[in-house]
Amino acid sequence: MRSLRLYLRLVGVCVRSQMQYKASFLTDLAGTLFGNAITFLSLAAVFARFGSVGGWRLGEVAFLYGLVEMGFATMDMVFSGYDPGYFSQLVRRGQFDQMLLRPVALPLQVLSSEFTLRRLGRFAQGLIVFLLAVRLAGIHWTVAKLLYLPVVFGSVVAFFGSLFWIGSTTCFWTVEALEAINIFTYGGTEMLAYPMHIYDDWLRYLFTYVIPASLVVYYPALYFLGKPDPFGLPRALSFLAPVAGAAMLLLANAFWRFGVRHYQGTGT
Amino acid sequence: MAGDGLWGSMAAIVEVRDLHKEFRVFLHRRGGLGALRNLFSRQHRLVRAVDGISFRIEPGELVGYLGPNGAGKSTTIKILTGILVPTSGEVVVAGRVPWRQRREHVARIGAVFGQRNSLWWDLPVIESLDLLRHIYRIPAARYRRNLDEFESILGLGEFLSTPVRSLSLGQLMRANLAGALLHDPDILFLDEPTIGLDVVAKERIRQFILRVNRERGTTVILTTHDLGDVERLCQRVLMIDRGRLLFDGQLAELQRRFGGERELVAEFAEEYPDPQVPGATIVGREGPRVTYRFGNGAQRPDGGVTASELIARLSARYRLADLSVREPEIEETVRRIYEQRLLDRE
Repeated sequence: MRSLRLYLRLVGVCVRSQMQYKASFLTDLAGTLFGNAITFLSLAAVFARFGSVGGWRLGEVAFLYGLVEMGFATMDMVFSGYDPGYFSQLVRRGQFDQMLLRPVALPLQVLSSEFTLRRLGRFAQGLIVFLLAVRLAGIHWTVAKLLYLPVVFGSVVAFFGSLFWIGSTTCFWTVEALEAINIFTYGGTEMLAYPMHIYDDWLRYLFTYVIPASLVVYYPALYFLGKPDPFGLPRALSFLAPVAGAAMLLLANAFWRFGVRHYQGTGT
Repeated sequence: MAGDGLWGSMAAIVEVRDLHKEFRVFLHRRGGLGALRNLFSRQHRLVRAVDGISFRIEPGELVGYLGPNGAGKSTTIKILTGILVPTSGEVVVAGRVPWRQRREHVARIGAVFGQRNSLWWDLPVIESLDLLRHIYRIPAARYRRNLDEFESILGLGEFLSTPVRSLSLGQLMRANLAGALLHDPDILFLDEPTIGLDVVAKERIRQFILRVNRERGTTVILTTHDLGDVERLCQRVLMIDRGRLLFDGQLAELQRRFGGERELVAEFAEEYPDPQVPGATIVGREGPRVTYRFGNGAQRPDGGVTASELIARLSARYRLADLSVREPEIEETVRRIYEQRLLDRE
């Protein structure tokens, strides 16, 4: 509770200092909104030409796309401190050393050191697409679906956040791997915005069993859209999103602790 | 009990025994292919930043930790503050092992690393300090009392509502010092606290450090290049080079043993053709004003003389009008120690 209050106080500081540059904040916001809208329009253009992708219609793919966009945007805002590009600077400039000198848990300090509010632009765009998708796809809503939706959303945030967290932790060893990590996080969002079954087997296995991305997006989407699994896997897979999200966070935290110990041993 | 050290001393607040810290320095290959090879096999060389250092510090001491660049000063401070874990050796600070109980440890220490800012860049100073109140859970009354005191000694009042990013270097250091002491730490670690400051700002910082040490009884450990800091502040000096402790004692003792020779300027009542005197060398002459250089036994094969002996010898031979003795600069002494590795021979 005390930690939460401290977290909110520190995040409040980040938000207020961004507000000091209000004009730049608003242009950024408009810019992200516009940029992402164009991405979606190009997606829509594909459908206008081919009608469907892997048997999924525009509304259904837009459901995936909107969910991933909202989730990623929220994560990008909440986990700004663990954005590998930002975090590597934190280490290089010695600010991470300053964090080691404070009697507060390190993840709390990192997470509250940056909070990029302008990601709201991307979130808003994802939300618009998502709402459109819900109409177009004609989802049959039940109480269970309404309750499960925020859980899935949280799992998406946790999943991408874990990738950021793991990526940042590698900065304790090398910054040379940074680009490779970015391929996973940013590439991951692009990939997850499409139905998994359009990809090759190996890629699908990788994103189901090794990095459980499809568990947080694709399988839950099958449930919401009332589609059967084209591979005939058990329906229970649709409900593993929170398990996958939590498992990724635990894994990231364990790796982080290992990384901090390594850092304290070397002081790179 | 706090301070109940591993080797049976009740009093020491800092105990360091046989501390070692080795770093692997990786050799980087250049180019695209080099970067790829760096990822898989990396060649390295071992650097012993701290190579077997032991010392103890009693509560309330003000200790200077000196050494040339790369001597291992910062590494030691980083270990004592819990940022780094040593390769081997034992460290107990106020009853705790810094890196094992990081959060408990840092709640009881203050640290300012020269030219590193620990306050919030975009916030006014006062709001930054207020955040520290929440971070260290400082009771409101104690916070108020400390803030009032620091405001008057450090003159924070003139820039309390200025954003941290707009402060001058001296103001930044003052604000950071206040921030490091709001929670009444037992020990204050300062790494180059006066680096880059002008004379007036330096003096203000030094006075503040002295006052905190004397009035609050805060133990202070500071590293510095500025021997002015050492002369003004430190009762005791730890001198290290190449990761080893070369000297641990009073500054005056260091000066007495290794200080260069002193100079005596004599103004005679008349001009003498060759005013020699045993135990001293003439190094300058300007009419009746003659400059002698002399030293104690440590520096002279003939045994040397003290200042009073020299004056007695001079006045027995010549008619003196005036006298003055110049002490060697401490900077000179320290430079000589490093350059000639005087302490290594001991």
